[in-house]
Amino acid sequence: MFRASWAFVILLPFAAAAHAGSVEGKLELPAVPRPPLQVKGFLDRVENPLAQVKPVAVAQQMVVVLEGDEKPVSPPQVVIELLGETFSRKVVAAPAGSEVVIKNVSKSSRTLVAAEDPKLIPQGPINPTGPKSFRVTEVGKVYTIGDKDAPHLKLKIVVVNTQYVVNPDDSGRFEIDNVPAGSYKLKVWYQDNWLSREDETVNVGAKGKTEINPKIPAGALAPAAKK
Amino acid sequence: MFLSKIWFFLIALAAAIAMTVALVMPRPAQRAAVDEQHNRLAVACGIVNILLSDDAHGRVDLAGSFARAPEIVGALEAASNADKLDDARMKQVRDVGEKIMKGIEGRKPDFAMLIDRKGRVVARVRLDENDFGDYMSGRPLIDDALAGYLRDDLWAQNGTLYFVSAAPAVKRDPPVAYVGAVVLGHKVTNELAQRLVSGLNVDLSFYLGTDSIAGSKTAPLDQTKMQTALATLKESDVVKDCLSSHPLDLRAKNTDFTALVARLPGEAKSRGAYFSVMIEKPAAIGFAGTLKVVRKSDLSFGSFPWILVGGAFLVSLGIGIGLMFVEGDRPLRKLTADAMRLAKGEKEKMSEDEHGGKYGSIARSVNIHIDKLGREAKSARTNLDSLLGPAPEGSLGTIDLLAGALPPSRPGGPAPAAPPPPSDFRFSDPGKAIPTPPPMVRHGSAPVRNNPPPTPPRGAPMPPPLARVSEPMPATAPPPKNAFGGLEDDILGRADPEQTTLVDPYFKSVYDQFVAVKQSCNEPTSGLTYQKFSEKLIKNRDDLIAKTGCKEVRFTVYVKDGKAALKATPVKEE
Repeated sequence: MFRASWAFVILLPFAAAAHAGSVEGKLELPAVPRPPLQVKGFLDRVENPLAQVKPVAVAQQMVVVLEGDEKPVSPPQVVIELLGETFSRKVVAAPAGSEVVIKNVSKSSRTLVAAEDPKLIPQGPINPTGPKSFRVTEVGKVYTIGDKDAPHLKLKIVVVNTQYVVNPDDSGRFEIDNVPAGSYKLKVWYQDNWLSREDETVNVGAKGKTEINPKIPAGALAPAAKK
Repeated sequence: MFLSKIWFFLIALAAAIAMTVALVMPRPAQRAAVDEQHNRLAVACGIVNILLSDDAHGRVDLAGSFARAPEIVGALEAASNADKLDDARMKQVRDVGEKIMKGIEGRKPDFAMLIDRKGRVVARVRLDENDFGDYMSGRPLIDDALAGYLRDDLWAQNGTLYFVSAAPAVKRDPPVAYVGAVVLGHKVTNELAQRLVSGLNVDLSFYLGTDSIAGSKTAPLDQTKMQTALATLKESDVVKDCLSSHPLDLRAKNTDFTALVARLPGEAKSRGAYFSVMIEKPAAIGFAGTLKVVRKSDLSFGSFPWILVGGAFLVSLGIGIGLMFVEGDRPLRKLTADAMRLAKGEKEKMSEDEHGGKYGSIARSVNIHIDKLGREAKSARTNLDSLLGPAPEGSLGTIDLLAGALPPSRPGGPAPAAPPPPSDFRFSDPGKAIPTPPPMVRHGSAPVRNNPPPTPPRGAPMPPPLARVSEPMPATAPPPKNAFGGLEDDILGRADPEQTTLVDPYFKSVYDQFVAVKQSCNEPTSGLTYQKFSEKLIKNRDDLIAKTGCKEVRFTVYVKDGKAALKATPVKEE
């Protein structure tokens, strides 16, 4: 899954590679011990007595974005896989003008619709191994892709004005390569919103790595934790 | 009659109240029955929820046992460590699952899904057995199980409903780690529905949207009504639906049902999954229905106040009959006896004071009418006097109005076959009237006349019939036509021959009788001429014919109070 999540980052075009560095770091995530209860059956869920419950992998629902003055050049293709009952990533940042491709690698077809714009995705089901592609252009727009027959199947697409985006791994570690030298603002998207924290400025050099470890306060995740 | 009327009013009022009570009383019972039925439905709905929760406990426990099986843990651990799942692994894990499935006692799951820690389906048992490798993570039940929770859910899959339960597979050997999860599914079937409501005496159906999935009874109910009722359920906790849901009246296959709907929890809730408990609606009780369900024991002396009811009936009947006797029968008998005495002539008027109320009014009315007839008789006599012109005073006698106008029961004799017309006035008692010549027929028809009575000599005693008012004169035959000559000599001596042809034999006969009677009574006859006499009689006859519509008028001469009198009687039939 992680390999899949990094896939679209690799697909990003290399712009101004000659004077570019990389930005890497690790999100300092607060501990969220118990995943929120999404759906309840007849009974409340019960923790098993054999092992401690896994903490919530909040990083899977985050996107780290570096915003500079430059607009995306040669908008890349963003590829997302539909694995079955979930997408390869639950949150994706797509540079404005980029083409979003959803590949169905599961064994069942789905009918995906963007709640905010029903015409965004070409009509018809996505058959197994079949893709659906569409282009996002409006910066700041957020799309919620889902299937009405599977309420749990959701994908958030955030349209941003930069091509330097990355999904951190479960531990919060991230790395963005080929970032032109310059000053950027680092923003973190979590679930449905940008995290309410002061944007950090990142100065990227012409070569080498720039390390940054943004701290995510516990209160920033509160809305999600309440779910 | 006042008290009788009051009594009848009270009886009618009591009857109306009794009828109202009889018609209204079943309604509270009906409402109570309906309320009881609604409560029963709500209780049944709650019990179904409890049974489903209890069933979920068992299913979760079963999933936990399944996931704890060492073969399962080992197989899932191995699969989780593999980059790619292949067919051989799938079959090996599926066989393990099948083996454990067979060992389950009691209600076996309809399917099992064995998932590695990455969320991939390693193998499926008994449902889509050849499918594997797809990611099931993302579904809340799977995510929770992979995170370490045991829980249940409700899935809508392939047009049916499954009660599913999941448990994490944990490798207990150090280091303890999650290696995957097991999902068990139990299909919602008719048998399950029947088992859930056995003993509750209600029916249960499961629905997915507008599709019926399973039920204890096949009854296609009105989905529109149920969907409308579902839309009103807003509680986040679906268990409370049984309390907040309102009963529905539904109809299926000519049977009326009362139903309660409640949403089902879990994933299927978002797909519109719900269940309904229903019960056949009892027929409206009503008055007739109440009578139908009355038992013999309800009417036994022990449970029904027969003595009170019978006593009330007898008292009511006695009071009614008593009031009828006092206010109706007894006064009527008294009035009847009084009227009979009046008819027999034992009294001239009815005793008004002896009769009260309406009966007194009747007596007063009769007396008033008697007085009125007397006045009319006097008036008639005055009129006849004026008709007869300058005859000597009292020459026509007096009018005996009562003799001709009283009803059949009048005193003095038997009632006539038919009551006389109002204009039938008489100068004497008709029973004793002097026979007169047959009445004259109008339009010149030849009357049959009796012989004129012999003229009594002055001072000679009257024959017995004329000696008293009540004795009628003997009938006289009409004089022959050639007899007119003699009459002319006596009364119409100066009449010319033309006039003599106008002499009516009948009037002449009456005239002769009248003169004879007057003379016998020593009354003067000097001013009395046939012409005037006949003119008056003709006028009187015409008046009476015009007034009564009779065909002819008969005149009778008689003596009253020592004087000659004349009576005109309308004759309706020849």
